[in-house]
Amino acid sequence: MKNPLHPLTWALWLLADLVILSMTRNPIYLGLTLCWIAVISVAIHWAGIAVNPQRLLAPFHFGLVVVPLAALINALNVHIGVTVLFVLPRALPLIGGPITLEALVYGLLNGLILTCIYTAFALVNQVLSVRAMVGLIPRAYYPLAIVVTIALTFAPLTLRQLQAIREAQAIRGHRMQGIRDWLPLFLPLLLSGLERSLQLAEAMTARGFASTQAQSQHRVARLGLVLGLASIVAGLWLHLVGPSASAGSLLTFSGIASVVGGLWWIGRGQARTVYRPTPFQRQDWLVATAALCPVLLFLLPLFDRTSLFYYPYPTLSLPEFNLIYGMATWGLLGPAFLPLRRSIA
Amino acid sequence: MITFEHVTFFYPDRPLPALRDISLQITAGEFVLLVGASGAGKSTLLRLINGLAPHFTGGQLRGRLSVHGLDPVLATPQIMSRHVGFVFQDSEAQFVTDRVEDELAFALEHAALPAPAMRLRVEETLDLLDLARLRNRSLDTLSGGERQRVAIAAALALHPSILVLDEPTSQLDPQSAEDVLTALVRLNSDLGLTIVLAEHRLERVLPFVERLIYLAADGNSMVSGDARSVLHQIDLVPPLVQVGKALGWEPLPLTIKAGLRFSQMMVNVPAPSSSPPPQPIQPSPTVLQVKGLTVQIDTCTVLHAVDLTMRAGEIVVIMGRNGAGKTTLLRSLVGLVRPQRGDVQIQGRSIAGRTVAEICRQVAYLPQDPNTLLFADSVRDELWITLRNHGLETKPNAGQVIDNLLATLRIAALAEHYPRDLSVGERQRTALAAILVTQPQLILLDEPTRGLDYAAKDQLAGLLKGFARAGKAVILVTHDVEFANGLADRVVLMSQGEVIATGSPAEVLSPSPFFAAQVARLFPGTTWRTVEDVLVGVCTSGQATNCGG
Repeated sequence: MKNPLHPLTWALWLLADLVILSMTRNPIYLGLTLCWIAVISVAIHWAGIAVNPQRLLAPFHFGLVVVPLAALINALNVHIGVTVLFVLPRALPLIGGPITLEALVYGLLNGLILTCIYTAFALVNQVLSVRAMVGLIPRAYYPLAIVVTIALTFAPLTLRQLQAIREAQAIRGHRMQGIRDWLPLFLPLLLSGLERSLQLAEAMTARGFASTQAQSQHRVARLGLVLGLASIVAGLWLHLVGPSASAGSLLTFSGIASVVGGLWWIGRGQARTVYRPTPFQRQDWLVATAALCPVLLFLLPLFDRTSLFYYPYPTLSLPEFNLIYGMATWGLLGPAFLPLRRSIA
Repeated sequence: MITFEHVTFFYPDRPLPALRDISLQITAGEFVLLVGASGAGKSTLLRLINGLAPHFTGGQLRGRLSVHGLDPVLATPQIMSRHVGFVFQDSEAQFVTDRVEDELAFALEHAALPAPAMRLRVEETLDLLDLARLRNRSLDTLSGGERQRVAIAAALALHPSILVLDEPTSQLDPQSAEDVLTALVRLNSDLGLTIVLAEHRLERVLPFVERLIYLAADGNSMVSGDARSVLHQIDLVPPLVQVGKALGWEPLPLTIKAGLRFSQMMVNVPAPSSSPPPQPIQPSPTVLQVKGLTVQIDTCTVLHAVDLTMRAGEIVVIMGRNGAGKTTLLRSLVGLVRPQRGDVQIQGRSIAGRTVAEICRQVAYLPQDPNTLLFADSVRDELWITLRNHGLETKPNAGQVIDNLLATLRIAALAEHYPRDLSVGERQRTALAAILVTQPQLILLDEPTRGLDYAAKDQLAGLLKGFARAGKAVILVTHDVEFANGLADRVVLMSQGEVIATGSPAEVLSPSPFFAAQVARLFPGTTWRTVEDVLVGVCTSGQATNCGG
């Protein structure tokens, strides 16, 4: 079955994930988020959207390694906290000192956040093709989109080429011992890569691709982009250190609007069409709106936010749980309902 | 449709022109075949048609050019792309995306065709080249022939009226090459597409081309006309035409069917027994012994219980379909693939437990793409590097060995050249030199005739025969039927990882509808396989008109 969601919806979903993960260190909310990512992974596998179950599970294996590793590294490096598990001799550089439960837990949470980010990205990577992802690049940057496409298709080709060259050099009696022995591999790889790029450039020229475009009519739009970016930065600065947070927010939002508008304006001028465009449908609105809810709840000071800021130092405590935020994470579950849509249709 | 008037073209920084004073006219709907030795300027001529030369290559153009009423130089390749589709030699290097459908849509998206029209156009083009069932496939899962058909489809997506192809089959095996050429013939006859094709494999296309253009090696002179009249004037011709020319058959046959009409009229074709009896095999030392070799790659059995023995001075050709395990067999002989069962012994020593580098001191292995071997600044350096890798550079006669080898391979004059600037044939011989400099007794070659023209192939065959006479054993994997028939002492036929037949070419190849040489098809019932066989045979029976030459 084809991926029924618009690439933009997946991008928004991913963004919502990242916002939540950056707003909280509460293990309950983190655990819930990871849980929903896992549920979606299983659901889309069940729906036949992502076909390779091994690649769906691999990111979770990554978590099994990363969580203990992050906990260990943090415990060895950070020696604050009350609950001392044991003490390493202080003579040892960096790792010497008391090993505390608090540092262990803090590292564990770091590992959990990393795992969530990794699994979310891996999931999106599974459901979106190269082409769909490139389609997310604004039309104003069409040449950039082409460059990204080529780079993504070049990478596997280059790996295969490297393998062929490695074998070819072994045939000539080449033995790999030190760094210098890589030279005979690197040079032919570079040369053949350059040759291939030239051939591709020639082929693209022959097929009518030329990046020379009349740019002058976009001058106003470009100015808008620059001013927009500047006002975003200024707004954030006002928000963080300046006297007026509301003026900062206003500046930021108008900056974002100006950037989006500028990109749209430039993109409008690009005479280009899309083969098999994916329409933004009802289910896209549903999933995107659902994902936006937790983002707003986590970002805006509407409710008591103390439960978000879980901090194990100096004394470990049980994390608080606020039902509103717990429920809010449910908003991420939207893509898990895709298989249902198929059975209805 | 296409007019060249006194066109001369210089590449930048080259004193001599790549093309000199070329005048020709190609009308709409013609199928034109462009032939000539490597470096004769075929690619340049093709690139002038859509403006890639001089726009992409740089250089200086004199004379007048007109394509579809436009001057390609003034119009730029971007405009010309609407009228001229261009297909390149290497199918892999011309793709922008990673999926068949997306590749066809690429040029259309860029030309801003409305989405519904684009949908229709992609469907048409898929059907035109019989690609509909491959539409969702990733490009790197396709075979070479399929990929080249996608490239043709992508070039046709913009509905050009001219299709230009620069040796599109030179990287393909014969079956895939046939698929591609058959598709071209259909496009020409069904759609009236004007096709200009540069190609080494004349056998397949000759019956269909309306015009042959021959460029002489220096780009200075040109012969153009209908196929028969040009074939009379040039040497780069397939065996069928060679036989026809030597025996004075008129009109010159372009197909086996036409040739059979002449050969069947010949009386006194010597019976099989009159051919020279096979020479008694002298008991020469065994160079290679393969026993029960079984190789599995990812749970798939690629080789199954293969046995093979080779003696010094023998040339063995391995043939079979794509995926029959031929390349894997060669790779397992040098340790690049390790077998699950069985053993390989080279000059009496098993290769088990030895590194590839160690084995390759005794075995020269030339992989399909010789470019991967070359990286030094000069041809001579390539040889020194191999010697140094094996710790042999301090041997007193090392310089002498290198000079001798370069002379044998006829690249002594190129010793100080940069290897990647050489022609395909010269690059291949440089790669050969780089692996032969350790003086191994066993030589393995994988598809050595790819991209070679008739002259370069003859040269390679001569070299390999010389090596065999010098007591080396040669194994080559090839799809090139004529090459195999002219060279092999023994043929090994493989299928699905097993050896299914082994014997002399006359026993194994001639009866086969697929592997028989053109000469064997012309004279069934004889043991003749090469043009020389025919000339010797016919002249001894004294019926040909022009034996003297």
